[in-house]
This record gives sequence, structure tokens and C-alpha cells, in this order.
Amino acid sequence: MQIQVNGKTQQVRREDELLLWVLRDELGLTGTHYGCGIGLCGSCTVLVDGQVTRSCLTPVAQVAGKAVTTLEGLAKTGPGGAVTLHPVQQAFVENPLQCAWCLPGHVMSAVALLEANSSPTSEQIEASAGINLCRCGGYNNVRKAVARAAELKRGGL
Amino acid sequence: MSTLKPNKVLRKKVTRRRVLIGLGTTAGVLVVGVPLALNAGRPALVKYVEENGTGPQDAPLDPDLWFEITPAGITFYVPKMEMGQGIHTALAQIAAEELEVKPEQLTVRQADTARGYAGGTMFTFGSNSVSALYTPLREAAATLRELLREEAARQLGVPAKNLTAAGGQFFIAGRRDTLTYAKVVEAKQGGGTLPDKPARLKARKDFKRIGKAMPRVDFRDKVMGLSTYGYDARVDGMLYGAVARPPRYGATLAAASAGAAAQHSGVSKVVIDLKANFVGVVADSRTRARDAVKKLELRWEGGTTVNQAEIEAQVRAGAGVVVRRRGNVGAALEQGTRIEAEYSTPLAAHAHLEPLAALVSVAPGAKGKIEVWTATQYPKSVMDDLHDALGKDREILLHPTQLGGGFGRKAGQTAAVEAARLSKATGKPVHVGWTREEDLQQAFFRPPSHHILRGSVSEDGRILGVEQFSASGDIIWPASMPEFVKDTIGFDPGGILGLFMPYSIPAYHVTNRREALPVPTGFWRGLGVFPNTFAAESFADELAHAAKMDPLEFRLKNLPDTDDGQRLRAVLEQAAQRAGWATPPPQGRARGVACGLDVNTASAMIAEVSLENGQIRVHRMSVAADPGLVINPQGAKMQAEGSVVMGLSSTLHEVLTVKDGMIGSANFDTYPLLTLRETPQIDVDLVESGDVPYGMGEPVIGPVGAAVANAVFALTGKRLRDLPLRL
Repeated sequence: MQIQVNGKTQQVRREDELLLWVLRDELGLTGTHYGCGIGLCGSCTVLVDGQVTRSCLTPVAQVAGKAVTTLEGLAKTGPGGAVTLHPVQQAFVENPLQCAWCLPGHVMSAVALLEANSSPTSEQIEASAGINLCRCGGYNNVRKAVARAAELKRGGL
Repeated sequence: MSTLKPNKVLRKKVTRRRVLIGLGTTAGVLVVGVPLALNAGRPALVKYVEENGTGPQDAPLDPDLWFEITPAGITFYVPKMEMGQGIHTALAQIAAEELEVKPEQLTVRQADTARGYAGGTMFTFGSNSVSALYTPLREAAATLRELLREEAARQLGVPAKNLTAAGGQFFIAGRRDTLTYAKVVEAKQGGGTLPDKPARLKARKDFKRIGKAMPRVDFRDKVMGLSTYGYDARVDGMLYGAVARPPRYGATLAAASAGAAAQHSGVSKVVIDLKANFVGVVADSRTRARDAVKKLELRWEGGTTVNQAEIEAQVRAGAGVVVRRRGNVGAALEQGTRIEAEYSTPLAAHAHLEPLAALVSVAPGAKGKIEVWTATQYPKSVMDDLHDALGKDREILLHPTQLGGGFGRKAGQTAAVEAARLSKATGKPVHVGWTREEDLQQAFFRPPSHHILRGSVSEDGRILGVEQFSASGDIIWPASMPEFVKDTIGFDPGGILGLFMPYSIPAYHVTNRREALPVPTGFWRGLGVFPNTFAAESFADELAHAAKMDPLEFRLKNLPDTDDGQRLRAVLEQAAQRAGWATPPPQGRARGVACGLDVNTASAMIAEVSLENGQIRVHRMSVAADPGLVINPQGAKMQAEGSVVMGLSSTLHEVLTVKDGMIGSANFDTYPLLTLRETPQIDVDLVESGDVPYGMGEPVIGPVGAAVANAVFALTGKRLRDLPLRL
């Protein structure tokens, strides 16, 4: 079986596995994290065809032929090897969380939100970000980062 | 660590003998490291009491932290683990200040145990990292700067005083060219001499880095998914392990066989060690290992069948050890207005979002080397456990990874011992990553506490006397410490943190008792600070109302005229100003105040609450904290905010209950954490009262519960005395 991850075609050995463990243990993309296994914390969040998806609940077979995007797939590498962060990544560097184990949820939710809506209201930010937990208590920086990311994106970063 | 006295920094000056230096030993590399003899923080108390009588010794000559300068740049190896507290950033900032480099010119690397000293300062707890390393780190960095200056002067043939260090290079008086540190090191030949005394430290007025907000040094990697946490550790040829768990605390394996687990697809080994109470499975994937564990045939025996009501009955304030006795409290309580109240706090979990995890590779043979990658707050403790489990003679190399939260739970790392047993049995590197259910249930917890307070106030609002009884499950005392020793001591040092009211109380009598619970209990952010401050500061509020005084004014009036009293006044006044205490809150809302002192850091906060659909809604938290000197305001504020959020989560939601010898919650569906939507506006003001930094990791969590409960009382007239708060 093959899946598309961050624009690359990847061969999957274990077709009965959850997407999370294929990404992490088979493909070595450990930027997507395990936190609860029941879809509540958001640490395992990826985009599947642009949709926010909990990879800890998603059988890998379900994403065959679809485009999976993880934290590792957001930044762009230029011709000289220079890395340009996605506006959401840049916004979180400016408004960091603490341990950042929960980061995939917050970043991927914001990426999906801003794809659909480049000027979200604070209520729309709450609704989008509110599905992810952060034990270290960086929620107010999540709010700031998403608003800042929208600003950066509109500014053309 | 066993040789150190508690609560005392035993740092010695950096002298010729104590600075390690490898000048010119490798062409073009300069290494300067510093070994430090430091108090290992709160757990040092345990070792000290266990092995009382030994005095401080010289630290071994392994460096705790060191710098490597090559023509390519400066790498700064640090002994402190990053678990989100921003410590790598704060240490880089301190080093950059004295080294006269831009912080971004330093590459911060976590020291491993190959060259670092796992016992000295390689731990992350007790809010201790910045406060303990501040001066020795500055001395090391300043000494390195002066060594470079001397060498640069020699190479240039100019007096050293003609060289000014800035931005990683020397400016030469009367010349337009500069000489970079890298060039100095590149051209360096032969050995060097160290000064007898550490170089002079910069005056505070000359600081360019310390006290300024600095971005996290590790966050670019984190947003790109490039940081390695314990769960992320990988090596070629690794397999995955899963371990059988007891259904009740303290249960032991009477019998075990592989059953159908051995035939489960992908399983390479079932490891049974009844003596170690251990059965685990190694497979080619996590899922297969976990599924196979369910097919093991196991017979568990014994253990506790305790239920919640018995735990609550056991942790009742009353008899205990007198930990403070001042004045005649009996007589004082006969005067003025007398009140009495009871408070309780429940069992609670750390709920760090990265569950325990470790990758271990054990080389063949009885003395084969053990290599470990794990998220731990205390590598030495992991290494001790590995030596106990696999043999004392083994060499261990431990690579501390980034931590996905810790909050005290990762003071050890039992997943490392499990992975080591499985690696030893298979000859392959094995990764064990716990499930959330394992992480929440097979844990140790913040112990429950119970408090009875009696107090009296005069008509003019002075506290006349307080009699305080409290009980808590053990926090610091380890299971390995003999019960009779713990009982003889009678209280747990962790259980009295945050216990004492900071006010001027002429007659003050405090009795505390430890309880060994059948459910594992231990370190949780701030130890006793959160549960005890909830009781003490709720009661202070009740005294204020008994005196018919404004709760803020009451506190200001009753604080002593000591340094600590003045610092508490300052943070109370700052928080009050930020919250607009002097003006009425918006319609339908009320405010509550609380304060506290922990690891020398004074903090105060004001909660503004309302009721929404009968539920407590916190709208604003106005926080002021005085950690002495602030290194990185951005980092310090985040630590305060994080403490507020974790404290609110405990105040409003978190409670574990025990049924048939096991906690009932296994995941976040039955152990809800505070969400983003519930998180209020949090304003943090930092107050600086000194020239040295204290801790910021834990103190601010102390007053959160009481501030909210006091606000709920102001709003509803209903005094909530049990956490989590339920109307």
C-alpha cells in the first residue's frame, strides 16, 4: 500500500496499523505525537486532504490515495537549502508553547483554519484551537499565535 | 548528592583546580567546563536524612556544564533537561551575557552522562535550575572570556586591556579590524594557564542580555517536528516492547506464562521474570507488542483493594508532629472573633502529555554496557534503577531527551528499566512507550490532603492566633526508606511546603502528619505548595471576612515587616493594581485574592469569576511574582501562566478516585484537563527585588485554588472548602 506524506509517495508495510504509528515508527516522522489514543488531546493531529485528522484513531488504510501533511511537511526549503517556515510555524516561534508535545494539534488546526478563512474572528479561533489540549498551559499563546499567523499569511509570508 | 546538605548551595568558587580546561589539546578546540557541587534540590533531603552525618565533599572532576569553542562556533553543554520551562534558553542568556556573545552564537546542547556528571546538577526539579546555576555559570563564562582575551592579546601583541569583547569578537583599541573568538581559538597553540580567581563578573547595570525577553532557543526545531523527545528516540534495528500491568497497586505475579502471546504475529520474545514482578513482550511494532500482552496468561496476587472512602478516612488532620509552635494558641483563641474551617484536596495526576518512554540498548554479557535515551528529570535516578535491575557493574550512557512535560513524574523513568530488561533478553535495542492508560494509572500521584484550621482575629483586624492541623500522603519519602524512619520523623518535608501562613501571628501552632497510602504518591509540581496554600489562603480569607475587612487590606495589614513580608506586600499591591481591585468588578463578577511564598519567590494573584449555567467561570487572573531577579521575562511569564492554567485545572476539574485498589480514571475522558475555552485572560507582572534569581517553575501554582475559591465566596457567599470546587 502507498500513501502520500508531505508530497512524497511512501510505501506502507503494515496496512492494518493506525496512521499515527505508521508515520512515527515506520516512516520515522516523529513530529506527530501520541498523547491519549482517543482523539482528545490533539497531539497526533495531521491534515488529510486538508482536513484536521486525529491520526491516533485513523487506520492507515483510510488514507490510501489521500494527501497527508504533518508538522515536518509545512516548511519550505529553497534552492540554497534555506528553510522558510510556514506562517503558522513562524507565529508559534514568536508565541511559543512550553514543552510543545501538543504542538501538532495547535499548528495543524491553525493551518486548516487559515486555509479556509484568512481572517478568522476570535470566536472562530477558539472553536478551531479549542479541540486541542495543552498541559503546560500555553493556551493564551495559542490564541496569540493563531491570530498572528493570520496576520503573517495575509501579509504574504 | 548523598553528601550534600539540604537547602544550602554549596557552590565553590571556580578556581584553577576546579575549572577543567583542554586548551590546545585538540587543534583548534577550546573546552572549558566547570564542575559544581550543588544542592540537588528537594530530594536531597531524602538522601540526607537517610545517610545523615556526611559532609560536603569535593565534586568529582567531571564537568556539569562546559563550552566548546571551535572555528565553527561555540557549543554550550548544559546539565538541565528541557521540559518546556525554557531552561536551555535562560542558561544560554546567562552564558551569553558574560561571554559577550549574541545568544544566537551559542548552540545549546543537552549534556549526556558520558562527559557530564549525572549526580551533580543534572536534574530538573525544585524550581532550582536558574537559581543554582546563575553565579557559577557566569563565573565560568567570564573566565572563558578572559582566557580568550589573554590569548588574543598575545596573538596581536597588544595589552589585554586594549581589547573589548562584544558579539563574539574583540575590538582592538586604535584599530579598525577585529579578532573573532573563533580565530583566537584557531590560532591557539599549546596549553594554557587558568587564572587563580574567576574573572570579575559584570555589574548589573551593564547587562545586555539578562532581563531582556529572548526567544526560545529550541522552538524552531519544535515547530518543524525535529525535536527528539523520549517517545521519539530511534536507532536502527530497534524493536518495541510492552509490559503487563497489575490490576491493583501492590499486586504481584504469582504465575505467568506466555500463552498465545508467543504466537502473536511479530512477537520475537516473551520475557517472564517473576522475581522482578515483570512480564513483557517484544515485537516488531508497538501495536503487536501491546496486543500480545493481552494474550499473556497471568495470575496476580495480593495488593491493595482500598477504596476512596478509606483513603479519605486515613488522611484526616489531627494528631501529628508539631512543625511550628509560637505563643499560647489556646489563650489566643479565647480572644477576638474565633472561626474554624476544614479543607481538603484530592489525589491528582501529572498528566504530562508525553507518556513515559525510553529506548534502551543493552550490550551482550553480564557486564554489557547500557545505552539509554529517555525523557527524565533526573538521569542519576534512572541509572540507579538500571544498576539495581541489571547489575551494578554495567557502564551506562544516558542521553536525556527533550521532555513532553514532567511536573515531577519524570523524576525517574521506569520505562527505561522495562526497556532494558527487554533489550537484555533479546539482544536488540527496545523502545517502550507507555499508553495514556498506563501513564495515568501506573503512576504516583499528588497525595490527598486534609486541613483543620482554627483562628481568631481582633476587632481591628489583627490575627491573634491560629491553630492548624494538616495531613497528607507521602511526597518525598521514597518507598525504599524504612517505614519506622518515616514514622519516627512523622511528617514528610514535601508535605509542609506552602503550609505556613506568611502573616504575623503572635500565637501560631502547626501540626502535620504524613500518611503512607496504599496508592502510590509523590512529587507533583510544587509538592505541598498547591494543596497547602489552598487551605492557608482560603482560611486567611475567612479570617478577613470574620474581621469584616477587605481581604486585600487584611493581608497587607497582617504581613510582617520582614523582607518576605515586604515582598509579599509588593506583589499583592501589583496584582491588585492590575486587577483593578479598587474599582468594582463588572456586573455579575467578583474577585478573590491569594498569595504565597515558595523557593523564595513571592507571588500574588487576583481571580475574577462569574457563574455561567451554574458553573464557575474564571475570566481574569492578575498575577504578580517576584523571583528576585528575572533572567528572561518571556520565559518567566510563561512559567507563571502555565502554573495558573495547571492550578485552575486542579481547582475546577481534577480529581482521582480509587476503587478496588486502582484509580478509576484511565484517560482524559474521565480525567478532564482545563481547555483553551476555559482559560481566562492571564496578566503577569514581574517584580524584581534583588540581584539573584529564585525559582519560577512552581511557586505561582500555590495561590491559584484559594484565589478562585475566595472569588466564588465574594460572588455567592458560599465558601467552597474542597477541591475541585463544586457549587
